[in-house]
Amino acid sequence: MPPVIDTEKCIGCGLCAEICPMMVFRHKPEESDTPQVLYGDECWHCNACVLDCSQGAIRLRLPLPYMILNTDAANLKG
Amino acid sequence: MKEDIREYSADVLVVGGGIAGLMAAIAAAEEGASVILAEKANTKRSGSGATGNDHFLCYIPEKHGADMQPILREVLDSMVGLCHDKDNTRRFLQESFEVVQLWNEWGIAMRPHGDWEFMGHAFPGRPRVWLKYDGHNQKPALTAKAKSCGVEILNHLPVVDLCSDESGICGALAMDVRGDDPEFVFLRAKTVVLATGSANRMYSPAGTPGWMFNTAFCPSCTGAAQAQAWRIGANLVNMELPNRHAGPKYFSRAGKSTWIGVYRYPDGRPLGPFVTEATKEYGDITCDVWNSAFTDLMLDGRGPAYLDCSGTSPEDLEYMRWGMRGEGLTALLDYLDEKKIDPGKRAVEFMQYEPHLIGRGLEIDIDGQTSLPGLFAAGDMVGNFRGDIGGAAVYGRIAGRQAARLAGGRSMPTSGAAAEWRKNRSEYYLSYLGQGSHDAGWREANLALHQICNDYIAAGPHRVRSATLLKAGMEYLEQLRANIRQEVRVANSHELLRLIEVLDLMDCAEVIFHSAGERKETRGMHIRSDFSFTNPLLSDKFLLVCKSPQNSEVSFKWRSIRN
Repeated sequence: MPPVIDTEKCIGCGLCAEICPMMVFRHKPEESDTPQVLYGDECWHCNACVLDCSQGAIRLRLPLPYMILNTDAANLKG
Repeated sequence: MKEDIREYSADVLVVGGGIAGLMAAIAAAEEGASVILAEKANTKRSGSGATGNDHFLCYIPEKHGADMQPILREVLDSMVGLCHDKDNTRRFLQESFEVVQLWNEWGIAMRPHGDWEFMGHAFPGRPRVWLKYDGHNQKPALTAKAKSCGVEILNHLPVVDLCSDESGICGALAMDVRGDDPEFVFLRAKTVVLATGSANRMYSPAGTPGWMFNTAFCPSCTGAAQAQAWRIGANLVNMELPNRHAGPKYFSRAGKSTWIGVYRYPDGRPLGPFVTEATKEYGDITCDVWNSAFTDLMLDGRGPAYLDCSGTSPEDLEYMRWGMRGEGLTALLDYLDEKKIDPGKRAVEFMQYEPHLIGRGLEIDIDGQTSLPGLFAAGDMVGNFRGDIGGAAVYGRIAGRQAARLAGGRSMPTSGAAAEWRKNRSEYYLSYLGQGSHDAGWREANLALHQICNDYIAAGPHRVRSATLLKAGMEYLEQLRANIRQEVRVANSHELLRLIEVLDLMDCAEVIFHSAGERKETRGMHIRSDFSFTNPLLSDKFLLVCKSPQNSEVSFKWRSIRN
């Protein structure tokens, strides 16, 4: 589900959990350095976590239903 | 739960830390008021402007000329123009340039290419009113400014109820959601500014039913202000007039006019009469005007409808990409890149998204005050003025300033005020905690609400409302309320917040049921099968609705639109 954290790159700062508008992460340093993606299906794909992660450790995996429908523009003719 | 509820107090309480809320807080603090701002998530990245915006509605005399009248007309003819008391719109335009300049000073690039630049959302030959700016850092920049003014920002502290007593508004109950266990907090204040944004997740996402967070606007914005103000008797306005946004299918995102292309039928003919080649100056405004185009074309079989950027110049395609970054569409750009979808070569199908509340809600006066003294509102949840980001910024400032001035003449509610009320309300919410394996969760409640809204307060095109449908739907809504009360239990503060959001959305739906019944005509996407005409006698009127907190009686009032 949307945010995917690269545990190799994550430094456990918890910024993603702090700023996510949907609060999809849970960060409990005493349990795990890397925040958990606990409510991934509530992601709004706003990309705030991706943009703000100083380590570039987060990417979004968009669910299959979110596909952007597209076609070759040259096909738009009678 | 602790015996004593923690309290904060300040002259002015701002509810919600989006664009309007931060601007209100800054303005109130600059007036010398003490200010607390309670925010559901974190003001650095919350709300529909979380990661940016690129169009700021405004009037800049040096670019538009000394006569504001043509600009006012342009705003009222635009996609945000349906529900305006014109005195609000005029006040907004008059103060808009000052706010643009302030944002620029505060580090938001309002003229990223050197001069004030108006682009997009425009008819050929008409004045352009949307300032193109780079808002990628607008939330961190406004947060920093608010802190520097002394605003106390309380993050992860959503307000769940407003408190009023015989002397008027006196504060709010909020819920600390930082830990697994919710903690209730009372926020005492002399005046309150509501700024909780639009209301999403009331209807199923039109493209991806079941994926309820795939919404064009922030799905954490769930009509809290409309619902809370309704519960204490404030006037709401225009709630029955549906709004539906449009954008790429199936990836829901606001920002359709950042795309620079031509809307086309599958055979290549343009949908609209405005442009045959799109440029950054005009784009294609067709779907601002023909709002239902994408639905119409699907349902009559002429579709699908595409946005075709293949005729756009390479320079303008680069400009479009830049605009998308400023608007916060970076997830969209990442996805296009990852899937190798080049908008210069691939036409993208567009669709009309589900109804939501934006520019529908609280009635405000010229200073942003609601019908309840001391209670102000600004931003997407105002029902008689809409200006999106620019509107939120400017009216947030107006409302915050006025709330501070009014607070100056009021006394602080006493510590421990409304003790019984806050105890009752917090116990009510806490009674939903304690999920067992056989209990329903908040998701079931939200999905059940979707069904009722989709079927019984449907929005056009091609879907109707009627007295019999509304009456039936209202009864089902009450049945759902009872079922939720009995069957829904949640596990922690996060889930309780989601449930409270659904309860707020149900109150918003209730308001729509009432006001849709009272509007006995067809107007826009409010289509009454039993009143299939638009009544010119109602064209210059607004429908106000409120519920008495004493006896729950709902009353309506038609009033003239202010000029």
